[in-house]
Amino acid sequence: MTEILKYKSTRNIVKSNSLEYPWLLKEIDHPPGKLYYKGSWNSEIFEKCLAVVGSRRMTNYGKCITNKLVSEIAGAGITIVSGFMYGVDATAHKAALEAGGRTIAVMPCGIEVIHPEYQETLYKEILENNGLIISEFEGTFPPALWTYPRRNRIIAGLSLATMVIEAGEKSGSLITAGFARKYKRELFAVPGPLTSTLSKGTLQLIKEGASMVTSAKDVLATYGITNHKFSECPLQFSKLSKLEQTIIKKLQQEPMEIDTLSRLLEISASEIGSALSLMQLKSLLFEEDGKYYVN
Amino acid sequence: MLIKVSSVSNSGLKSIGIDVEVNVANRGLPAFEIVGLPSKAVDESKQRVRTAIVNSNIEFPARRITVNLAPADVPKEGSFYDLPIAVGILTSVIGCKLPEESLFFGELSLDGTLRHTKGALLLSLFAREKGIRNIFVPRASANEAAIVKGVNVYPIENVSQLLSYFMGEIELKPAEYQEGKDDWISTQAEFDMAEILGQEQAKRAIEISASGGHNLLMIGSPGSGKTMLARALPGILPTLREEESLEVTKIYSVSGYFPPEGSLIKTRPFRAPHHTISQVGLIGGGPRPQPGEVSLAHRGVLFLDEFSEFPRSVLEALRQPMEDGYLTISRSRERANFPARFILIASANPCPCGYLYHSKRQCLCTQREIEKYRKRVSGPILDRIDLHVEVPVVDIKELAKDRRFKDRLESSAQIYRRVMKAREIQKNRFIDEKIHTNAEMKNRHIKKYCNFSKEVKQLLQQAGVSFQLSARSYYKMIKVSRTIADLEASQDITVSHMAEALQYRPRIQERVM
Repeated sequence: MTEILKYKSTRNIVKSNSLEYPWLLKEIDHPPGKLYYKGSWNSEIFEKCLAVVGSRRMTNYGKCITNKLVSEIAGAGITIVSGFMYGVDATAHKAALEAGGRTIAVMPCGIEVIHPEYQETLYKEILENNGLIISEFEGTFPPALWTYPRRNRIIAGLSLATMVIEAGEKSGSLITAGFARKYKRELFAVPGPLTSTLSKGTLQLIKEGASMVTSAKDVLATYGITNHKFSECPLQFSKLSKLEQTIIKKLQQEPMEIDTLSRLLEISASEIGSALSLMQLKSLLFEEDGKYYVN
Repeated sequence: MLIKVSSVSNSGLKSIGIDVEVNVANRGLPAFEIVGLPSKAVDESKQRVRTAIVNSNIEFPARRITVNLAPADVPKEGSFYDLPIAVGILTSVIGCKLPEESLFFGELSLDGTLRHTKGALLLSLFAREKGIRNIFVPRASANEAAIVKGVNVYPIENVSQLLSYFMGEIELKPAEYQEGKDDWISTQAEFDMAEILGQEQAKRAIEISASGGHNLLMIGSPGSGKTMLARALPGILPTLREEESLEVTKIYSVSGYFPPEGSLIKTRPFRAPHHTISQVGLIGGGPRPQPGEVSLAHRGVLFLDEFSEFPRSVLEALRQPMEDGYLTISRSRERANFPARFILIASANPCPCGYLYHSKRQCLCTQREIEKYRKRVSGPILDRIDLHVEVPVVDIKELAKDRRFKDRLESSAQIYRRVMKAREIQKNRFIDEKIHTNAEMKNRHIKKYCNFSKEVKQLLQQAGVSFQLSARSYYKMIKVSRTIADLEASQDITVSHMAEALQYRPRIQERVM
């Protein structure tokens, strides 16, 4: 409890008539009359916001792509706005923090309630890294079915653009996308494999005219950032061992489990395992739920 | 007339000498009483002894018979006092002399024959220790007792035969130990490793586990082949060493699982209790402590399928045996030490529905359910498991078509040879130590026997940071890499050995977001 109180500031309400109220949010149909917040309010944080929303039941692919896109976008100075739910929301908040960027969590409940409560660490990390926790609901107001769509309108309202990563056919993320469209904001959708039910929503959005995201540059262009240099060092392919080169080539086609690699390359699991550990420690690869991906 | 017959009382794996004092009084009303804290089974001995003697065509004395089992304050359990009591009554009635330096042991049947009785091996070990030359045991238990050299084990068929021997009418020959089959102890490997398609990494983990005695946790969806992998393990386990054989046979002798005419156990036991097992069933216990599954799996394998379905209190009780290799069962009247040095093979689903990380099916669990599920097995238990491996679902139909792939599959016999070589290296390494395998190494052993270069150390430190290894995991990685090096007969642990060991690190901390 004391931990939470530490972040309690005496003046944690911003009214809609205040100069500090985010101007983008004022433009929507029914802007919240006042915003409760935690953290240090700084109008500058609202200047370039991107809403990142998606399924709670995120797949591996969703997790990887969220990490990759958000860390590049947040690293370029864009504030990531999301809904603090587990799944894509939480991954987006985390990726933003890890990239040294800023992030805003819009809660479906009062700001004193950490929902879901096991994400307390994330809650604290957001506040410790100049982020904001905001809500239109007071104090310990509990989350309810009807508060989620209301929360979604704030997420869309705060942001110049909304990016949807993995959404089912009828999902909350599509509600947020609907708001973004209604408020005439840019709408991005990240394509996914046709086989996944979690691609249905995003692919539908693309069909209906949302911009398709294939790299962080697509999103950054909306914010006028065209010459951002990603701090990515190019892979020095020639310096790798022969086995490492073969592994990378295979994994670039498709992420794979160690067993599959061993079968395809006809090399023992012990030798492949040894090589994969070393490559992972050299940050050439990363592992997600048993499969290896090229960094 | 008072006769003293010697026997033993077994408590846990220890025996103490018992004097069975039989007094057949000339005065008083006919009666038959047993004193000296007899249990129900001992008390019922009266009926068996009386009937067996009568059915052997010997007249049962209609006198006051008092049997005292001394020392009188030690509780007596078991049916093997039948023979010493019968011997006491018979000798006092007939007036023949008992052979000197002899122990009697065995349960009587109503027709006067002797039945296979549990604990015969402990009896002969006790006899050797105390320098007692002769023991008389049921014929069916004689081979078991004859495992011990230097003790005359007389196999007894029935009461009349024994009586003829006492009267000097016949000669008895001590039993010669005969080696027999011990296939009852572990259902021979149900699968050959070559029958398992795919699962290259899990198979390798099982090989390492069998070589170095490491505990293994397999996580995978239903149908991925976890149980099949575990069931193939007995096929690659090394045979028991001589001293190990005796340890295992002792436990089985007192547990009552030892079959009639069974011989020294040479195969490593494989125990697979169901997850509804009670704590006493797993650990051992009871008013007179009995060995549980962990002790029955001593020097062998304890396979716990559906690991997270076991009640937490039952699993927590595994901590002491996993750490020390033995356990102490204390009850108000008795305490017993049982050895329990086993390889734990555990298998679990990744989430409550089982389909997390599944390539085709979707997992329906929420993050919260998954976390709750993972927490069912406590950290300290997971910390004691050296090898963690994920078992993905394999498209077997696809693999079965691939001839080239099938030709490359290794059979259990091939893997067994590598395992034996690695065990041989460990045997020589730990010749002056009390341990047998790499998994048993404590920190001081690691310092002494695990040499590696600066590069390996750097790699391990880097991995410690990147993979968030705990201090205990750090040592586990060294132990596992030692075994991997042994499998290649390499003196030093190299970078590639350590890198492979890192594949088997616990990934749970990395996973929970």
